[in-house]
Amino acid sequence: MTLGRGSILVLVALLWSVPPHALASPPQRQSLEYSVKANYLVRFAAFVEWPQRSFATNQSPVVICVVGRDPFRGGLERAARAQTAYGRPLAVRHPGTAEAAAGCHILYVGQGGGRLVPDGARPILLVTDAAVSAERGVIHFVISDERVRFHIDLQTASRSGLSINSRLLNLALSVRGG
Amino acid sequence: MLWARLRSSRFPLVALASLLVLLIAGVAIAALSERSLKVQTAREAGAQADLLASAVSGALAFDDREAAQDYVDAVQINPSVLAAAVYDEEHRLVARFTRDGETVPNTVTPRERMTVFENGRLYVVRPVDQAGQRLGAVHLRLMETPAAQRFSRYAGLLLVLGLAALVVVVLAVAQGALRRANRQLAERAADLVRTNSLLQQQMIEREKAEEALRQSQKMEAIGRLTGGIAHDFNNLLMVASSGIELLDRTDDPKRRRTLSAGIKQAVERGAALTRQLLAFARRSPLRAEVLDLRSHIEGLRFLLERSLREDVEVVLELPDDLWRIEADRGELELALLNLAVNARDAMPHGGRLSVSACNLPGEDGEPDRVCLRIADTGVGMPESVATRVFEPFFTTKEVGRGTGLGLSQVYGFVRSSGGDVSVDSREGEGTTFTLCLPRTEKPPTGTEAVTSVAAPGPRKRKFSGRLLLVEDDDAVAAGVGHMLGDLGYSHVRVANAAEALATLDKDPRFDLVFSDMVMPGEMDGLALAQEVRRRMPGTPVLLTTGFSEAASAATGEAFRLLPKPYGIASLSDALAATLQEPAA
Repeated sequence: MTLGRGSILVLVALLWSVPPHALASPPQRQSLEYSVKANYLVRFAAFVEWPQRSFATNQSPVVICVVGRDPFRGGLERAARAQTAYGRPLAVRHPGTAEAAAGCHILYVGQGGGRLVPDGARPILLVTDAAVSAERGVIHFVISDERVRFHIDLQTASRSGLSINSRLLNLALSVRGG
Repeated sequence: MLWARLRSSRFPLVALASLLVLLIAGVAIAALSERSLKVQTAREAGAQADLLASAVSGALAFDDREAAQDYVDAVQINPSVLAAAVYDEEHRLVARFTRDGETVPNTVTPRERMTVFENGRLYVVRPVDQAGQRLGAVHLRLMETPAAQRFSRYAGLLLVLGLAALVVVVLAVAQGALRRANRQLAERAADLVRTNSLLQQQMIEREKAEEALRQSQKMEAIGRLTGGIAHDFNNLLMVASSGIELLDRTDDPKRRRTLSAGIKQAVERGAALTRQLLAFARRSPLRAEVLDLRSHIEGLRFLLERSLREDVEVVLELPDDLWRIEADRGELELALLNLAVNARDAMPHGGRLSVSACNLPGEDGEPDRVCLRIADTGVGMPESVATRVFEPFFTTKEVGRGTGLGLSQVYGFVRSSGGDVSVDSREGEGTTFTLCLPRTEKPPTGTEAVTSVAAPGPRKRKFSGRLLLVEDDDAVAAGVGHMLGDLGYSHVRVANAAEALATLDKDPRFDLVFSDMVMPGEMDGLALAQEVRRRMPGTPVLLTTGFSEAASAATGEAFRLLPKPYGIASLSDALAATLQEPAA
């Protein structure tokens, strides 16, 4: 566990324990929001299973990609460092082309990243953000009750060959095609 | 000390051991059960914690307190759970559930899996992992199985144990009672043994006392007997001595004959008296003869009537066809005389004495017998007397009047003749004696001499022969010498056996050796007789003695015996018979 990630969790805890109106300035709040989202992206790796063919070897990492503008400012790398999922390490990438993005397992679509999303039904957990666009991937981040929540499109996930842990589904605000 | 008390309390050790074993077994079973229960409780609690950990993983991963709280609340369905808490990755409390009195810390020190019993509580910690990502931890606090539940678990066991203990105690008590009973029995047996030995001691003492009593009775009897005998003998001696004195003073042949007859009679009575004594002792050899009772008793009628008084009538009822018997003539006469005298004494005012006889054919293989009944019409006697009349020295007569030997002689005579005697008496109605003697098939022997005492002069014959007389008593030797000379025998007298043998060595020409049996010196008459028979088989020996024991020894050795005292007639007969005998 790193100090950086620890401090983020401290912040998250502060966020929970402090009333929303007492929150500090919007930029600080935004920074907190994204560190939570980065953390969630890492956690998704533990609650989603990919088909075996999407990995080259048993030791191949679970690749977390950010396309478009990266809002995490290094927070994702910090959250993913030293973490594993099903015995695989985690890797964070920023692919510049849709071809490059085809090797991703979790793909966060940032501002202007929509064109880099690879076509077709690939085993990629596509994560979209209401703060970026209204278009929804398999998981769609929203802010609900001052907290980061998400919707899940199970239909698309199934089509993509992904299986999502029921405990994750339980926490979704809505599940489409469940 | 406890041990000693237990021993002294006689609580059976086996029962104690059984109780101990039961207790140990019970405790062991309880401990095992308790342990397995703990293991099971721990396993159940662990499973529950695992379940909770797995359930809250999503909620922890995505910071959903409400979902976490829902899962935690679901745990309280289990009543054993006292508290449940979920901590996040930073060990801070996320959700909790507590029962009254329980608290949960807001932060915890990091722990791995843990299952710990402490102070009756079970603490379970399970990490929350998802695909290798550590998300937090779940803490559960449970109470151990409640006491009531546990008790109910052991109630059956306790019941069985209690019953077993009860059985053991009951058995122990029963055994104790049995032991006590046994001990009492043993004590009683010991008492019995003590009492028995006491009794035996008393018996021995009693025997001693009886022996002493018998002795004193014997002494008394002897005293009585001596008195009676002395009285009789004094009378006889008086007659004899006065007769001899008078004999010296007169030359009238008729008067001398009368006097000598009186003296002879007195001596005969003395002889009869000693014979009576010997017969009582049953040591006098019986001279059995075949007798015809009818003619014999008819011959006695005169004697009987003379012995009785004029006021006593004698009635004889003797059938002609009476069987013959074999008995000692003198003894039979004596028995009849004794009975007659008793009858006379029982009839002080006169009465009737009846003597009857009958044949009694034997039954069931018993021999035929002839029964003689002597009945009087006298005063009779009580039963207590009747049962004792045959005892020696028993008499109802005053001292000096009777020796107490009369009926004893009757008894001894009848028994030694192979017969029976019985008495039947009732007070005031007279007494009946019944003498039953066995029948004999032998022909009658010899001439019927009614009285043995009266062997008058006409039978007097002259003999010749040379005799060796062995006699230690000078007076007796002189008397016998006179008799021998009177009979026509010549004799040489020696005083003892050694002298006799010496004389025989020097001069063996003797026709007969006539020896006393009891003599001083190393050799007695019997030994002398045996020696003479060995050295000179052709010389007959005639033995004489006044001692009954010596007499039976002589007859046992087949020597002719002449019992003392004897008269000139019996001496003459004995000598003649011995000389006529073929040499042994």
